Amino acid sequence: MSRIGVFICHCGENISRTVDVERVAAEIGKLSGVAFATDYKYMCSDPGQNLLKKAIQEQKLTHVVVAACSPRMHEKTFRKAVEAAGLNPFLCEMANIREHCSWVHENREEATVKAIDIVSMMVERVKKNRILPGITVPVTKRSLVIGGGIAGIQAALDIADCGHEVILVEREPSIGGHMAQLSETFPTLDCSQCIMTPKMVDVANHPKIKLYTYSEIELVEGYIGNFQVTIKKKARSVDEDKCTGCGVCMTKCPQKKIPNKFDQNIGMRTAIYVPFPQAVPNTPVIDRDNCTWFKTGKCGVCKKVCGPGAVDFEQQDTLVVEAVGAIVVATGFDLYSIDEKPKGSPIKGYGEFGHGKIPDVIDGMTFERLASASGPTGGKILRPSDGKEPKQIVFIQCVGSRAREKGISYCSKVCCMYTAKHTMLYHHKVHDGQAYVFFMDARTPGKSYDEFWRRSIEEEEAVYIRGMVSRLYQKGDKIVVMGSDIAVGVQVEIETDMVVLATAVQPQKGADLLAQKLGISYDKYNFYSEAHAKLRPVECATAGIYLAGACQGPKDIPETVSQASAAAAKVMTLFSKDKLEREPIVARVREAGCVGCFACKKVCAYGAVEEKEIRDRQGNLIKVVAYVNPGVCAGCGTCQATCPSKCVELDGYTDEQIIAMIEAL
Amino acid sequence: MKKKKMVISQETMDVDFVRKVEALSGTSVRRCFQCGKCSAGCPMATFMEHPPNRVVRLLQLGQWQRVLAGRSIWYCASCETCTTRCPNKVDLASIMDALRKLSWDAEGASKESYVQLANKLFLQNIRTYGRQYEMRLAAVFNVKSGQFLKDLMLGPKLLAKGKLKMFHSKNKNMPEIEKIFTRIEEMRKKGEAL
Repeated sequence: MSRIGVFICHCGENISRTVDVERVAAEIGKLSGVAFATDYKYMCSDPGQNLLKKAIQEQKLTHVVVAACSPRMHEKTFRKAVEAAGLNPFLCEMANIREHCSWVHENREEATVKAIDIVSMMVERVKKNRILPGITVPVTKRSLVIGGGIAGIQAALDIADCGHEVILVEREPSIGGHMAQLSETFPTLDCSQCIMTPKMVDVANHPKIKLYTYSEIELVEGYIGNFQVTIKKKARSVDEDKCTGCGVCMTKCPQKKIPNKFDQNIGMRTAIYVPFPQAVPNTPVIDRDNCTWFKTGKCGVCKKVCGPGAVDFEQQDTLVVEAVGAIVVATGFDLYSIDEKPKGSPIKGYGEFGHGKIPDVIDGMTFERLASASGPTGGKILRPSDGKEPKQIVFIQCVGSRAREKGISYCSKVCCMYTAKHTMLYHHKVHDGQAYVFFMDARTPGKSYDEFWRRSIEEEEAVYIRGMVSRLYQKGDKIVVMGSDIAVGVQVEIETDMVVLATAVQPQKGADLLAQKLGISYDKYNFYSEAHAKLRPVECATAGIYLAGACQGPKDIPETVSQASAAAAKVMTLFSKDKLEREPIVARVREAGCVGCFACKKVCAYGAVEEKEIRDRQGNLIKVVAYVNPGVCAGCGTCQATCPSKCVELDGYTDEQIIAMIEAL
Repeated sequence: MKKKKMVISQETMDVDFVRKVEALSGTSVRRCFQCGKCSAGCPMATFMEHPPNRVVRLLQLGQWQRVLAGRSIWYCASCETCTTRCPNKVDLASIMDALRKLSWDAEGASKESYVQLANKLFLQNIRTYGRQYEMRLAAVFNVKSGQFLKDLMLGPKLLAKGKLKMFHSKNKNMPEIEKIFTRIEEMRKKGEAL
């Protein structure tokens, strides 16, 4: 006979407001097998847990049900308390009478009856709980970092400095990401390259960091502590070991007019190229789509001039498999484009801003390249159309962001600050020019941020106009901006030379595909989701995968760097132990009944089902059955639902337990 | 003027005028971030076509004509509630003062309230008589403003109480008074005074 203890929590007033907890305790106390039932104001508090421990010992309880909030919130808390009192933690279950009952109902009588039902179901289920032994898995103390922007670089350096090997994978030919594109950074106006390139060089020289540039993640298998990652190294057409980075190939390449993506397509590059002079590694890549050799089979100038003979037209894509224990995802962001909307995209375009057809309407990143000393104009602000210096410049904030109708409802967070910075850079470079900013709100919640914004107005003479722009159109070589000033309450018209749009921050293209490979969740915008918005902001719900930077949501540099270091700390916490404890809520196969159809193997999303041969003593094969690797199993229960012969059972959720729960109703 | 579209450019933003206002009032209009607290507490705001915050906003955009064309600056009671409560230390009461002073010479300033006319006549009287001659002030004001019968019935009462005199009396030291006026006129020409 089991002696079950039931503890009903008031959750302050969250539960007791709508549920008569005392009545629930009294009713549950009458159930068979229940030895002890009580209620308490805060079960999760220290006195609450002590009450639980004391009751287990005094009443000699065999099972425990805590009726409180969601198990996602406090299951671990109570299982730990139960374990401390000497019971197996898996003999404790939670009945959710907060999210599933008190928060969603108003009628006290009905809610109380429902709460009694919920708790009695859990009582029936816990009766059939078995003692589950913990599962330990080994940890591979190497880590993978996806993305070589500032987030990836910071995470990689932190982990590597701790003595663990890091594999850093970057899609582009050089690490550096968007931060390398920026001219100066707010709120201190220090040059982005100056603070970025030393870190890039540190990555390249770090003995513990293995750098894969121009590479992509092909496949991710395994589970926390034991991932196998297949990385596709795209053919660079240049032997990285032989290349000295002298750059002769780039000066001799006859294809010189290819728009450089790093310069937002304003500057030009050759077909064999490094994206920017400070690239790490400083090994060029041949852009096969634009290379004369790959298009016509003639040319080969780069190969002829290369002293060390590094150019290799025959190079193929190669696949490398790396074993790692943890993954940091730091794939960063991309900018919303006001061009006509791509087919099938839920995000709409900006017809009123000319759909990107007016050449002197540029986005913030293009302005960064214009203002950058290493940019295509050498740091001069010049119009893309005719190369003239704009004497009037209009900045428009919230283009794409906070525009539900266009498909994006979030705030991109960095635009207010970078626009303020742009007005300053413009004022420093064009002394007789005038900058205007159309904005809705100035959101500057960071250290020294508001002061920076105010400085752009009070000292750097930017004119901020609260109100949005309804339309832009070309008039001669000017752009007419039709807006409004809502503080004055009138329409405003400005004839300007150039317009800079603060376009929305979006996740990188293909972020969803990578998430599917990794098995992590993402929101409707393709930003990756954290396990808990407040308390687990750098971890994914999938164990062993961590997030850093703007792939999770728009972030500025200080925030990105903090999160990258936080993710690195999480990885180091994982690596601090040789073995990893896992929850033993896993599926088990009853081998006697298994017919080896492997329907379970087909449906398992985690690749946890393996084939196992059963042999007699002479070694003759009797049959092949399914075997669930407890290290890989995530306890989702799909196999249990699928098995035609009912031979897979998920511990803690067996058919017997579920039926007992239903019968309790 | 009030609702007319605002065309903004370096030419239409009169920064020099705004600088004058700032110098005269000793405060910066650029500091204002349009929270609206000045207008929230202003006892006269309901009478103004441009509430106090908008006066500052228009100055930020160099659109002083819009401000002076309205009567806001004349309705300001100089109670200084705005100045006291401003979170950004914008001394709006001083700005209003400065605007009233600058409106003397400004083109297109409001004539609606006849404040300037009254001021001018007042000073003319002082220059002519060395002291105020109320009868003439009232008569000329009524004629010039076209309101011939304005406050006419008040005249006999004031006369009876001796507050209003039929004939003027003159200051003995007229040349000294004239000196003051000439000096100020010269200073105004040089730009040393308003």
